[in-house]
Amino acid sequence: MHDLFLIGFLGALLVAGFRRPFLFVLGYVYVDIVAPQHLSYYLLNSIPISLIFFVAAVASWMMTGDKKAAAFGPRQAAMLILLLYCYVTTANADFPMEAQEKWSWVWKSLIFAVFLPLTLTTRLRIEALAVFMTLSAASIIIVGGIKTLSSGGGYGVLNLMSSSNTGLYESSTLACIAIALIPLILYLMRNGTIFPPEWRVTAFCLALSFACLLIPVGTEARTGLICIAVLGVLMLRATKKRFLYLSIVGALAIISIPFLPDSFTKRMDTLNEVQSDQSASTRLAVWKWTLDYVGDHPFGGGFDAYRGNSFRYETKPADSFDAAKGTSQSAVVVQDQARAYHSAYFEMLGEQGWLGLFIWLFIQLGGLVRMEVLRRRYRHSPADGDQWISQLATALQHGNIIYLIGAGFVGIAFQPFIYMLVGMQIGLDSYARRRRRAKTRNPLFATTTPRA
Amino acid sequence: MIDNFSLLLTHGLLLLAAWRLLSRDDLDVDPPAEGDADA
Repeated sequence: MHDLFLIGFLGALLVAGFRRPFLFVLGYVYVDIVAPQHLSYYLLNSIPISLIFFVAAVASWMMTGDKKAAAFGPRQAAMLILLLYCYVTTANADFPMEAQEKWSWVWKSLIFAVFLPLTLTTRLRIEALAVFMTLSAASIIIVGGIKTLSSGGGYGVLNLMSSSNTGLYESSTLACIAIALIPLILYLMRNGTIFPPEWRVTAFCLALSFACLLIPVGTEARTGLICIAVLGVLMLRATKKRFLYLSIVGALAIISIPFLPDSFTKRMDTLNEVQSDQSASTRLAVWKWTLDYVGDHPFGGGFDAYRGNSFRYETKPADSFDAAKGTSQSAVVVQDQARAYHSAYFEMLGEQGWLGLFIWLFIQLGGLVRMEVLRRRYRHSPADGDQWISQLATALQHGNIIYLIGAGFVGIAFQPFIYMLVGMQIGLDSYARRRRRAKTRNPLFATTTPRA
Repeated sequence: MIDNFSLLLTHGLLLLAAWRLLSRDDLDVDPPAEGDADA
């Protein structure tokens, strides 16, 4: 039943793609995020659906796509360079087998991010991409949200439909991405044309945002709590009634604390106890090891190079303080090896070296700068004109910032969902550029051009 | 139960979005006057 439903859905998307080829692109987005082959018991496992949609999307773009509108920007070039660079480091990797396995999904993620902006030639396409990314992620987030409400969740306990623990099904990743998605959900709630603003759309978007906020609670991923704090600050920047906003957020935070599960508050308490927390100590030790490693290997060790690490460090048990005796237990020496980076920055540094980290930062930070330019340029455009560009740029920028902060504690440098977000940023940027050119070419319409 | 609810809801909305996109001409070509003629 499950399988038939998913197959029927994919079939419908494929058929729709033959009428409107852009739906192949959306189909790929869906398959990449939801990974229906992981939800299926037998049928879909054997069909390369992701490949089918990708080939269909590229082939139909080559045959019918608007090549004139397709611009190739510096960040796309950077992603191609990163792709080639990763290819070389994979060939020379410390752990060739493991590196090959990571390469097998990283290259798809990068290639698609380079290709995606070429197809984003109209406003509706950009919005459709946002809707598909949001709803695809929502299929996992809603499950996580409801299960958190009903059971309270727990670290590594929340069952997110699939046992694969890859992509968005990995709990820390989902916690970070879910929060990064909230600005985009709120953008769609106000500016949607596929689902224009009305009470049902508003209700769904608010409920989904709430479910996103519940993911860090349900998964007990501490990264998620940091991401929520960043979101709170960013929204303060975007809001006009700041005092009202602060009062509401403050009230909600106080009201919600008694409802948080006990294990959650306990775990979050450890955020303050960096010294005594083994997981934090491990991270610091791995990061130190990475810095030493790139000292000897400036070009990185290829994917999964962390497998070569081993170190000793001292830690105190989290509950080491014995209140009755007023003493604390002595430090414990921990011997550890092959620990993952737990940070996208160190992941890039250790695996791809300084050059790889530099290219990656260029892709990420370049997006923040470009979105800021668009945000300011179109801020004072008419509300029924180009103001949406400013609002979407703000949402994409905020999502990116939340990701970049969260990525400081989770190794998600190549998360495909983020590369789609980057692709959308590039698409929006070149769309806005084309629009401005069209207007300057046609001065009759230039009267509404905002200051630029 | 929860899994099925979420899958049904989101996939239903995805299908509805795809269905609405099929009949939208501005999916492939931006209407030239839209947004420009708002003076």
